[in-house]
Amino acid sequence: MRWLSPLEPNIRHQGVRTNRFCGIGDWLLETCEFREWRCSEGGADGAVLFCPGNPGVGKTYLRQARDSQKEANTADSRKY
Amino acid sequence: MIPRKKRIQLTVENTSSLVIDSLCDQASVGGLRVGVAGLYYDFLSQKEQTITNMLGAILKQLVGMGNIPTYLREAFQEGRKDIGGRGLLLADLTRMLRRTIASLPQVFICIDALDECLPRDLPELLESLGDIVRESPKTRIFLTGRPHVKEAIQRFFAKAVVILICPNMDDVRNYVEMRLDMDDEPEAMSDGLRGEIVKTILEKMCDMCVRAFSISTLSTMCAYPRFRADFSLLRYTWTLSWKR
Repeated sequence: MRWLSPLEPNIRHQGVRTNRFCGIGDWLLETCEFREWRCSEGGADGAVLFCPGNPGVGKTYLRQARDSQKEANTADSRKY
Repeated sequence: MIPRKKRIQLTVENTSSLVIDSLCDQASVGGLRVGVAGLYYDFLSQKEQTITNMLGAILKQLVGMGNIPTYLREAFQEGRKDIGGRGLLLADLTRMLRRTIASLPQVFICIDALDECLPRDLPELLESLGDIVRESPKTRIFLTGRPHVKEAIQRFFAKAVVILICPNMDDVRNYVEMRLDMDDEPEAMSDGLRGEIVKTILEKMCDMCVRAFSISTLSTMCAYPRFRADFSLLRYTWTLSWKR
């Protein structure tokens, strides 16, 4: 299989998931946008979900705090 | 208690791994042969992370789920005949990738830190993903990156859905409390001071954009005048941050 690619993204994934703080980011999985994207309801038009975040110091940052999950799910979620 | 020295991440990368795990769990629970491929771009690995290697890594993950397709075996056998073995060209690779994806009920491709992809590779990568989606419309592509790559993405996927990554206050509270639990001088902490630290940080979070939210952030926040006024808080957070 190395013939296809020398990259081993599974190793990086394991490292990231091992260091993940339980519960952080779960709100994303509950958004309507994510659910619709996952369920393929949008066909080819809804194929891509992009989650941007500003850079911080190193790789550890929070872009912005929100007062509630509802606010995060609605005010900051925009469709293009 | 989380082991000392363990680096906890609250990042977009974190989100990618969360989504990948969620999709993998969903695939295994449903019993469907859903393909999930996850890639992480890394600025330090740009030389190795050519578009051919990245698309090859997607194909490797997808065919790794089961038997290796005949067309892939044949291509490998053909390639090894000459000059000690030839790799795949991008055109051959994308053709096989599209064929593999078309053979699966559904495929999820997750790519983290798209902004760390070489600028010259990014349009070609997005174009290749666009070709895959046109051929297999049920394919879902999850991308993360700094905001500036949004324009490039929208050039190829005009209707891409965008969700900003921004943890909520519960996330922040849990994280701060977890970090305070990791302090190796608990005698320097009291319930009152602990509560004050959490409360003040949460209040401050409403007014400012915190860039590095780790223990080191606490020292950053100490630079604010109202924090300086509270000597005990300043002393505690300063000590805490220098210990990390």
